[in-house]
Amino acid sequence: MAWENEIDEIHTRRKLAKQQGGKAAVDKHHEKGRLTIRERIDTLLDKNSFDEIGEGAGVPEYDEDGKLKDFQPANFILGFGQIDGRKVIVGGEDFTVRGGSPNPAGLRKSVYTEQLALKYKVPLVRLHEGGGGSVGGTGNDKARRPLGDPVFSQSRFVPLAETLSSIPVATAALGPVAGLPAARLVASHFSVMTPNAAVLIAGPQVVKRATGHDMTKEQLGGPQVHLASGAIDNLAEDEADAMRQIARFLSYVPDNAWSFPKALVPSDKIDRCEDALASIVPTSRRQPFQMRKIIEMVMDQNSEGSSFFEMSRKYGPSLITGLARLNGESVGVIGNDCMYYAGAMTATAAQKLRRFVDFCNSFHLPIISFVDEPGFMIGPDSEAAGTIRHGTAAISAVLQSRVPWASVQVLKAFGVAAQAHFGPDAYMLNWPSAASGALPVEGGVAVAFGREIAAAEDPAARQKELEDMLADTQSPFPRAEGLSVHELIDPRETRPKLIQWLQLALNARTEVPTPYLTGMRP
Amino acid sequence: MQIKSEIAGSVWKIIATQGAELAADDVIVILESMKMEIPITAPKAGVCSQLHVTEGEMIGEGQLVATLSVG
Repeated sequence: MAWENEIDEIHTRRKLAKQQGGKAAVDKHHEKGRLTIRERIDTLLDKNSFDEIGEGAGVPEYDEDGKLKDFQPANFILGFGQIDGRKVIVGGEDFTVRGGSPNPAGLRKSVYTEQLALKYKVPLVRLHEGGGGSVGGTGNDKARRPLGDPVFSQSRFVPLAETLSSIPVATAALGPVAGLPAARLVASHFSVMTPNAAVLIAGPQVVKRATGHDMTKEQLGGPQVHLASGAIDNLAEDEADAMRQIARFLSYVPDNAWSFPKALVPSDKIDRCEDALASIVPTSRRQPFQMRKIIEMVMDQNSEGSSFFEMSRKYGPSLITGLARLNGESVGVIGNDCMYYAGAMTATAAQKLRRFVDFCNSFHLPIISFVDEPGFMIGPDSEAAGTIRHGTAAISAVLQSRVPWASVQVLKAFGVAAQAHFGPDAYMLNWPSAASGALPVEGGVAVAFGREIAAAEDPAARQKELEDMLADTQSPFPRAEGLSVHELIDPRETRPKLIQWLQLALNARTEVPTPYLTGMRP
Repeated sequence: MQIKSEIAGSVWKIIATQGAELAADDVIVILESMKMEIPITAPKAGVCSQLHVTEGEMIGEGQLVATLSVG
């Protein structure tokens, strides 16, 4: 064999690359209850589907005779693979080499990830665990300071930003993730973290020195913090669950913004009309109900249960967002959760809504909105949070939406915030419990009839009388009579009505799918 | 296990008694928030070992409501 030595060396290098940071580093990593990046990729992808790129990238070490002695691989693993038979690109830091803080080849591979994903227009998965830059640079030789990138090179953040309007991006935090990897983690449409992960701009030592806060990395950026902050969408039970959630998220979206989502063979009957829908909303306005149950009863059921996949539950929790199947078609679902401040729109719920609606528009997902909106959250905290600006931005996003939109008004639709639930030319269904107006009667009556109530012989009785009288005017029947809604329905008919509409709306689409780019918003 | 309120509101009714055995989803207290009655429930079965709030009290987000002894 003419090239025997060279071919042997290729195989030797591959073997050395697979040793990652060495046995001791890998064992230490396993002791922390974490998988290595190669094990993670194997968990995520279909068996034997990983097609690696740049396996030979790294730093060789030679003996005195110039023969290869050792090889430190790039600490970012990258390649194509398949999830449920579908092509994706996957990359992630190797924590066993330099704690995932980039070495020169690792940095090159990580930066190339988004460029490859954009070039081939396939979904991107990044599995993060690692630190950011070091003051010593990416090399081991501290005497040779980094030169920096040449002035003509493109910033690595350009492709990172471009991916969001072009291809679906799902990410996971599977350990400590700080600095640049943390920024890449959140540059995604869906992110998930394990219970022992932490997401940090800077770690405890840097924070203590700069601000005096003496905190662990878990206290600074553990799941409790970042599920509520909105930086991360979902919590996973463990690494395998994180991979399952990523695969599930990807199952609802197309390969890229130039394609429509693919429909599945329907797993459920079109005319499944759940009797429980007729009585799930209490007649007393003081009693709450479970919007998630309504969503699950209306959306497709399959052999594993509900097709509804909720995202960002702990962030802006007065609004529910998620993906589901309706007669096999992929749809985005939103709904108010009255268990949190009556479902009122807070600043965080508004930001969650704007991001979700932009995401649905980016990947051509029709939106089904289940409405129980009492209005913007009021009070000093809400004013201080700038709720009015975030809310108005959400309304702008909704009304600039270009996907088919249906709104099922389950109960309330009050005030300016109600506009955030009805996209342009929305198909509007009202349940008999629907009530609309400028203000809910409880607050509105006290303001508009304050003097009359105060002057009454029995103010409480007069207030109740006025509230009951005005509640009648908020009834859905006059709106149905005036064709202000498409249909006033028996709640049990919700599923077949939505499916009939969705088929019409999808059949009527004539535009070629393209990326969704928006202008300035409030 | 600490049971905390995820919302601010006033404690409208205390349903569980101290020492009571609770099943998952049993109501511990009902808050009044935004003119609605919002239950705080036991996430798991257990004994309500301590109640930390009284009826009429205003509580904030994240405030401890009850302690549940599980298993």
